[in-house]
Amino acid sequence: MTVLLTTLFNGISHGVLLFVMAVGLSVTMGMMRFVNLAHVSLCMLGGYALVVAMDHAGLPFLAALPLAFLASAAAAAVLEATLLRHFYAAEELTQVLLTIGVVFMSVSAAAYIWGPSFRPVRVPDWLSGHWDLGPLALERYRLFTLLVGGTLSLALWLGMERTRFGAMLRACVDNRRVAAACGLHTGRLFAVAFAIGGGLAGLGGAMAISLTGVDPNFPFRYLVVVLIVVSLGGMGTITGTLLSALAIGVADVASKYYLPAAGGSIVYLLTIGLMLWRPNGLMGRRSGHA
Amino acid sequence: MKKSIAALAAALLGTLTTHAPAQVKPDETVKIGVLVSYSGIGMLGGIQTDNVIKQFQARFGAAPGGKKIEFVRRDTTGPNPEVARRMAQELITREKVQIIIGPDFTPNVLTLAPMMTEAKVPAIVMGAATQGIVGEKSPYYLRTFFSIPQQVRPLAAWAKKNGLNKTVVVVADYGPGHDAEATFTKTYGDAGGTVLASIRVPMRNLDFSSTMQRIRDAKADAAFVFMPLGEVALQFMKAYAASGLKSTGLKLIATADIADESTLEAAGDSALDVITTGVYAPTHDSAVNKAFVAEHEKMFGRTPRVSLITVAVWDAMQIIYSGLEAQKGARFDPDKFIAHARGRAFESPRGPVSIDAVNGDLIQNVYLRRTEKRDGVMQNIEFDVLKDVPTR
Amino acid sequence: MREALAATAHFRGMARVGRWEAAFWLALVLAYFVPATNHALLGQILIWGLFALSLDLLLGYRGIASLGHAAFYGIGAYGAGWLGKYGWTEPISALLLSGLLAGLVGLATGHLVRRLQGVALLMVTLGLNLLLFDLAQRSSEITGGDDGLQGIEVAPVLGLFRFDMAGHTAYLYVLAVALLVTLLVRGLVQSPWGLALRGARDNARRMAMLGAPVDRDLTLSFGLSAAIAGLAGALMTQTSSFVSPEVLSFQRSADVLVMLVIGGTGLLYGGFLGALVYLVLRDQFAAANPIHWYFWIGLLLVLVVTFFRAGILPALADRLRRHKPGGLS
Repeated sequence: MTVLLTTLFNGISHGVLLFVMAVGLSVTMGMMRFVNLAHVSLCMLGGYALVVAMDHAGLPFLAALPLAFLASAAAAAVLEATLLRHFYAAEELTQVLLTIGVVFMSVSAAAYIWGPSFRPVRVPDWLSGHWDLGPLALERYRLFTLLVGGTLSLALWLGMERTRFGAMLRACVDNRRVAAACGLHTGRLFAVAFAIGGGLAGLGGAMAISLTGVDPNFPFRYLVVVLIVVSLGGMGTITGTLLSALAIGVADVASKYYLPAAGGSIVYLLTIGLMLWRPNGLMGRRSGHA
Repeated sequence: MKKSIAALAAALLGTLTTHAPAQVKPDETVKIGVLVSYSGIGMLGGIQTDNVIKQFQARFGAAPGGKKIEFVRRDTTGPNPEVARRMAQELITREKVQIIIGPDFTPNVLTLAPMMTEAKVPAIVMGAATQGIVGEKSPYYLRTFFSIPQQVRPLAAWAKKNGLNKTVVVVADYGPGHDAEATFTKTYGDAGGTVLASIRVPMRNLDFSSTMQRIRDAKADAAFVFMPLGEVALQFMKAYAASGLKSTGLKLIATADIADESTLEAAGDSALDVITTGVYAPTHDSAVNKAFVAEHEKMFGRTPRVSLITVAVWDAMQIIYSGLEAQKGARFDPDKFIAHARGRAFESPRGPVSIDAVNGDLIQNVYLRRTEKRDGVMQNIEFDVLKDVPTR
Repeated sequence: MREALAATAHFRGMARVGRWEAAFWLALVLAYFVPATNHALLGQILIWGLFALSLDLLLGYRGIASLGHAAFYGIGAYGAGWLGKYGWTEPISALLLSGLLAGLVGLATGHLVRRLQGVALLMVTLGLNLLLFDLAQRSSEITGGDDGLQGIEVAPVLGLFRFDMAGHTAYLYVLAVALLVTLLVRGLVQSPWGLALRGARDNARRMAMLGAPVDRDLTLSFGLSAAIAGLAGALMTQTSSFVSPEVLSFQRSADVLVMLVIGGTGLLYGGFLGALVYLVLRDQFAAANPIHWYFWIGLLLVLVVTFFRAGILPALADRLRRHKPGGLS
């Protein structure tokens, strides 16, 4: 029983991390139907921002995390304004190619600026080790991830469902043309959403690298799983992305423990199965989209 | 527009045709191909290869045996047999190299074996560790790296001898991992130890918590770990420490990959007190090594750190220079080169080594090391040695 | 009546072999006899081009994007590998068998995904690809694992042409296969079936209303595309006597997609052009500065996408058409 609970805990914390990294992509894909693969580059940027802030500016971990968010949000805003904005009307494949090109460039740039090896992250002592809750030994860092991710999920959900801004975003996801016809500044809304999503990507990336450090190949490592989380959840929905991220996280961790012979294949089988069953994702809506 | 199309066409044509074959005058120029990864996961290897070649030539000059040598570099881009094959074809048929340093990665080594044999080009493998892939596949292959059983067998024996009677085996789920698992299980079992469980870890793994849980479940004295060099080794070490397994008294024993200098810094304290078997540590106490490391750090700084690959390339250069010196005044003969190398013993920064006369592999000392922090830097400190361990 | 005549003229017009097409293949054949040519590189370009052509059939002519096409390539590659390892060394029959195997899997896949669109389709094809790759890597007893399949033997083509080290025979062999397959696909896409396929690409619902068997055609096109991809994979194995799981990698699926889109979809030759540009440039960049070629490839992608929205081939064709008033045949 202890093992089951611990496995669930580990799976959920892994899933929450995936959620923070992927939610930005889900919203932008849902809103503007824009496939931005460079999203994972923003995750990497957040990681490097954390390392640089801690090593060079000497900032403590908790202070460096918001910096990772801000750096990525700024980079996202710049990227959107200079390059991506011109391709909203382009075909999906064009967007895929464009953003893959950006990913390649980011990987190379990271190797050039920070070198090809892993840059370690010094996680503070109070976040290392365990917290004993009865028979369960819960890793402190995972608890932290859960806390931060959980709070963010709630905040995002509230933001989407209960604020005017969120209502405007949801209108754009449902039907951009009509929303624009109603007088919403879709372009401006999207730029803001893109920046926030990018910032979240950076924050997620910064939190994910504590285990390994960050290296230039980070984007390639996470590209596929982020794509899977976004497509399985249904684009443009916070709840959907959260559900699919948790499902993937738990399935991955649990299957590796209980069904080791299947290896990492469970996630792929899950993807195939879910897509065949619910092509629009768990919570996706078939939108009458422009 | 027409001019630019013409220019582009000219450039394309240039790539698609050969350059005029280089004038290879006997006794004058020997072309040496460098076939390693300059991009992708192995790119650190490429950087270090270039550095070491520079360092070697700074000390020993650029004309062994009166022959001028010229290096031609090509990128294998990682374990990419298709690319490696094409690059090798270019090196051999177009650039007409006579010796090759490389290739790296086992798939590349295997795919190029027939080509080396047919072209009679000695190739010195400095970055692939599967057993039986050098002399067994081509008489023109030599190796200055190590072979996995070379490191696993001594570790299994040492474990049993030192009171670790029950071990859980944890390997990466791919060919070399399965080999390591099989070798360890056999040697350890023969010595009287018990393997409680065998865990295979998926290669593309983002979360290691389930592996750690299964290790915990096994309730063993020790965990034998085999992970490929680089990011997987690092992730494993970090996850191991984070899971708290370190504090349960479980002894972590592994092959050197997990504590390789390229990821040791990033692993930090999580990699303390790990016992590994390896063939080289920069802290090796010999005059040759001390000079080697000092010179390297003076020329290239402290990053990237001196590690096994640097020494492997250095030794490859030693073999080349020694072979060329032996052919002073004569045209380069690949068969004589191989015959000269086979069975030869020499001093490497890692210790005394010799090339196996039968399969061209490297017979070397295998050291037992413990990871410690010296002067704030993570190091592998040798505390025991098994001499002249064969690869077969 | 007039429409029927116009349609016939249209078809006859398309059946004429274009000047550029003939020149293209002639140049390739002549290149075999020019000793200075880099046959190894050209051979690889043709294999990738063939692979890209197979994807073009799906993407350019049927409008389906697949993120996992390397799965079929890999099945063909391993098929040829196993045949060569276990005694079936005759290359041409092994090639055809491997293509057939891949084609059958393609038919099954096409049937599975026939109702899916867009992202769901992409993710399922991707998932299947990754699944196969994972399996291949773990089953080292069957596939040789990361170290690859050993001991593949390929007998001389037609009993006469031995596969030599410099890649001359391989080049001719690959060229012959590429030419034949291209002619076959060319005939198919210009046939009524091909027209129906393109109709379904443009508007599947309307085609269904016209009575065209849209689902069946989709499955067939998947099967055909997979078979050609399998042929490309088998060619790779046979010309290098080696196969390892990376033939099934996502990297490969992504690379072929990039090549096709750079070259231009739906034009039959976009794949070849894209492969040429991508491979040659990769070699150039890598030779110049191996550590940073990723940057330049990325930049190239961004530039091509920005300035040549439909790919390079259409832009070139456009330019040439404007210069020659007779028009491109």
